[in-house]
Amino acid sequence: MSRGYLPPSGRERRAVRRRAFVDSLPVLMGYTAMGFVAGSLLAAKAGVSFAPLWAFLSGGLCVSGTLSFAIVQPVAERVGIWAIALMLAGVNFRYVFYGWSMLGAWKDVRGWRKFLLVLMLTDENYALETACKYKDPGRRTFYCLCLSAMNLSYWVAGLTSGAAFVSILRRALDPSVIAKYTSGLEFAMAALFIVIFTDQAKGFFAHGK
Amino acid sequence: MANDFTYMAGVVAAGFAVTFFFRAVPFLLFPAKGGNIPPWIEKLGAMVSPVIILGLIFYSYSSLEWRTPWPYIAGIATAAVELLTRNSLAGIIAGTAIYMSLLAAGCSSGPSSITYDAANPLMRITVNGIVFGGKDYVTPREAVKRLEQHRIPHDATIHVGVDPDFTDNRALWVFHHNYLNKAGYTRVVFVHERRAEAVKMKKRPGANNNRPPRR
Repeated sequence: MSRGYLPPSGRERRAVRRRAFVDSLPVLMGYTAMGFVAGSLLAAKAGVSFAPLWAFLSGGLCVSGTLSFAIVQPVAERVGIWAIALMLAGVNFRYVFYGWSMLGAWKDVRGWRKFLLVLMLTDENYALETACKYKDPGRRTFYCLCLSAMNLSYWVAGLTSGAAFVSILRRALDPSVIAKYTSGLEFAMAALFIVIFTDQAKGFFAHGK
Repeated sequence: MANDFTYMAGVVAAGFAVTFFFRAVPFLLFPAKGGNIPPWIEKLGAMVSPVIILGLIFYSYSSLEWRTPWPYIAGIATAAVELLTRNSLAGIIAGTAIYMSLLAAGCSSGPSSITYDAANPLMRITVNGIVFGGKDYVTPREAVKRLEQHRIPHDATIHVGVDPDFTDNRALWVFHHNYLNKAGYTRVVFVHERRAEAVKMKKRPGANNNRPPRR
């Protein structure tokens, strides 16, 4: 018998929110730092006008670290949109495997709540959501919602501030100076993939045993 | 500018459509069903994901200085720090910092600047590609990018040295018209053989050798 999705009330809600905030603190560090790097990379290397706007939109709508890093090089070369979409399909194919374990817990959630939950099935957020200690659907969904909203705000803030920072520097400094001091920053993308790969390989071997 | 705007809007829209679609796949396939992930999908995920990410690692290395050992050193350091500290952010920061400091210390295959000297060719076309300076082969697109990066003025005469063993005139034409001219470098000279020789000046006895040379 399913009680369906009922948001918890009063004191319960506050406790869940606090729990979610404490759990999101490591992500706060990660998302703001990675977002800042990805945003500055976009503003420094992609060569587009209004970089902070694009950082804000792509941060809020795509919410994917791999995407934010992976689009910089193709955008700098003005690769066609279909080709970029195809590449991103390869990059983000792994997200297909994330929603399955949440099917049961979220099945009665509707509207913008469901949109936010699906949008925020990112690597870090998913890891926290699967590790959630609340078993009843009400508190669990509310916990996931709080976590999603918090992590989304961290990511958007990091990405936009990074892009804005470099855009302002571009006004003040010579482009060659910026090119000199951001040279090698593109390794962050490779490092992100290496870290994801070692994580998955570790999980694969642990699972195999 | 407006073109840029629609392009970036398209990129963001494509990113949103692709990413959101993939995340929504389970909810679209089984909207009412609860329960756990089917075991075959779990197995497939555990197999497919690392392979895709491995491909992405190769892809991301293509935009690095992959002919030098430095990105590989930084990559190993990234994985090592990540495994030791169990903190992915520490690994990323350590690897990127190592790579950036290696490049800053001069460990790079490319020249840090193109010395612009009208008498000598900026680049040299050989059978293998286009050469800047010493051993650094680049593609025509990269060659134009470097000219732009180093702010070589559009009205500068670009002297392109052509190796004597390079006989493909069509490739020269393509490079001239499709790359240099399109980028705005309209004054291109192909130097097929350099006959200029350095002449050693001898000091004349009795002459005022401290006098600045006549222009």
